[in-house]
This record gives sequence, C-alpha cells and structure tokens, in this order.
Amino acid sequence: MNRKQRVRKMTLVTMLLAMSIVFHMLEPTIPLPVPGVKLGLANIFGLIALFLFGVKEMLGINFMRVLIASLLRGIIFGTGFWLSLSGVFLSSMVVIFFYRYSKLSLVGLSMAAAAFHNVGQILAIIVIWSSIFLIYWLPPMIWLSIPTGILTGTLAKESIRRVDKSKMDAVLGYSKRRD
Amino acid sequence: MNKADKIFLAIILVLSVALYGSIQFLVSAATSDLKVAVVTYKDREVLRIDMSVDNTYTVDGTLGDVIIEVKDNKIRVQEETSPYNICSIQGWVEYARVPIVCLPNHIMILIESAVDQDDEDITVR
Repeated sequence: MNRKQRVRKMTLVTMLLAMSIVFHMLEPTIPLPVPGVKLGLANIFGLIALFLFGVKEMLGINFMRVLIASLLRGIIFGTGFWLSLSGVFLSSMVVIFFYRYSKLSLVGLSMAAAAFHNVGQILAIIVIWSSIFLIYWLPPMIWLSIPTGILTGTLAKESIRRVDKSKMDAVLGYSKRRD
Repeated sequence: MNKADKIFLAIILVLSVALYGSIQFLVSAATSDLKVAVVTYKDREVLRIDMSVDNTYTVDGTLGDVIIEVKDNKIRVQEETSPYNICSIQGWVEYARVPIVCLPNHIMILIESAVDQDDEDITVR
C-alpha cells in the first residue's frame, strides 16, 4: 500500500466513523412502536468497514463510536456508557468469530451482532444493578433484535454492493474470508 | 439469507425460547419458595411459617389457642376463640401485605416475600 492509498483508506474509515457517530446520536429520536428498542443503524458502518477493510477497522469504528458519542453527549463513564461499551464489545467479538469461522452472510452477521449486543447490555445491567432477575428481559430483546439485525444487515449489504462489487462473494458468504 | 444464516437464526430462536421457559420456571419456583408468614403475639414474633409446606400450627392467643392452616401457598386462621371470629371469617390469604388480624387474641399474621419489594419508586441521580 503506497502513501496515497493509505491516506485514502484512512479518510474512508474516518468518514464511516463520522457517519456511524451521527447515526448513533440521532437514533434515539426515531420513533418506534416498542419503547426502548433501537434499530442499531450505527452498526451498519462497522459491518461495512469489516468487509471493505477488515477486523481492525471495524473494531476501531465500533469502539471509537461509543467513546466519541458518549463524550459528545456528556454521558461518558455513566451507566449508559458502560451498557453501550459492553454491548459493542460482545457483539464485535461474536461478529469477528463468525466472520472467520463460519459461512454466515452479512445479514447473518448483523443478526448475531444485534442479538449479542443485547446479551452484552443485559449482562452489564445485571452486574451494575446486581439483580439476576433482569435476565427476564433477554429473550424478548433477542426476538426484537432479529428483525432489526436483518434490516441493518440488508442496508449494509446494499451499501457494499454500490461501493465495491468485488466484495459481494464474501458478503453473501460464498467465499472464504480471512482478514 | 443463505443456509448458514437460517441455521443460525433457528439456533438463536430455540435458545432464547428455552431461556424464556427456564426463566419463567425459575422465577415462579424462586418466588413461591421464598414466601414466609410471620405470626406475632402482642408485637412479638412467635412463629415463622414456610408457606410452601402444607401444615397446621397452633399458637397461644389471649383468649385461647389460635389454629393456623397453610395449604397451597395460602394461609388462614382455621379456629380461634373471639366474640366475632373476624379473622377466621376472613379466610384464605395468599398475598404479602394482606394481614390477618385477631385483635381479641392479639395475634397478627403477615406474609413476607423474601424478594425485596421495598424498592424506591423513583431514583434521582
């Protein structure tokens, strides 16, 4: 990779990060029939980065998104911040695992990310409030995360189709994926 | 969605439904086991009754013996001596915070749930 390509890649990753922060912050204003549920639109950009650039870039975008959005909102190191962080941590790890060792397509990865984001959040709130009974919320949250995961996965897939057609085999799970 | 996606979706759904079922079971088992009835005589605790065991108990009241019966997680005063027999007429009680009071006998029975229900309504941070 020469200097020009490096700068180009850095710019693209930064723009994806900026877009994901905007979505992260605007998302709570989108009205949904079920209260407390988010579409997870910000996660689209992490998935796009995963397929266009790789694991490192996805981790950078996801963690920087939580960090910067919390800083901008002024809730950093509050309960909401730790919930976001643990959700993002677990969902990123699960996505990396399935990306490397399974044939899940991007839509499947997105479902996994959405479901395990909820698992991470519920585990964190159980630790923070030290009440095991909050696990009660986990199954309904997982059921709700499946349609939202399919939605974000489809949006990410269509975005990648328009940006870089050569990655579509990997997106659909047909070709073996390595970093 | 490809085949792997569908398999993954099925596994997630099965696991979450299983989790849901086991939580329901655990919560109902945990809450029913944890109910305890406290019997007091003149504001002094004289007996603690495990509500999950069907049995009858006898305590000394001011006017004579008070016989308490526990059945199917419910409790009642079966027999006592008093002018109006109000507490035995009250019948079965199964919820915490519905007390049985035998005023002439100075006996009070109150179900306590070991699950802490005294949480604040509002928390201000």
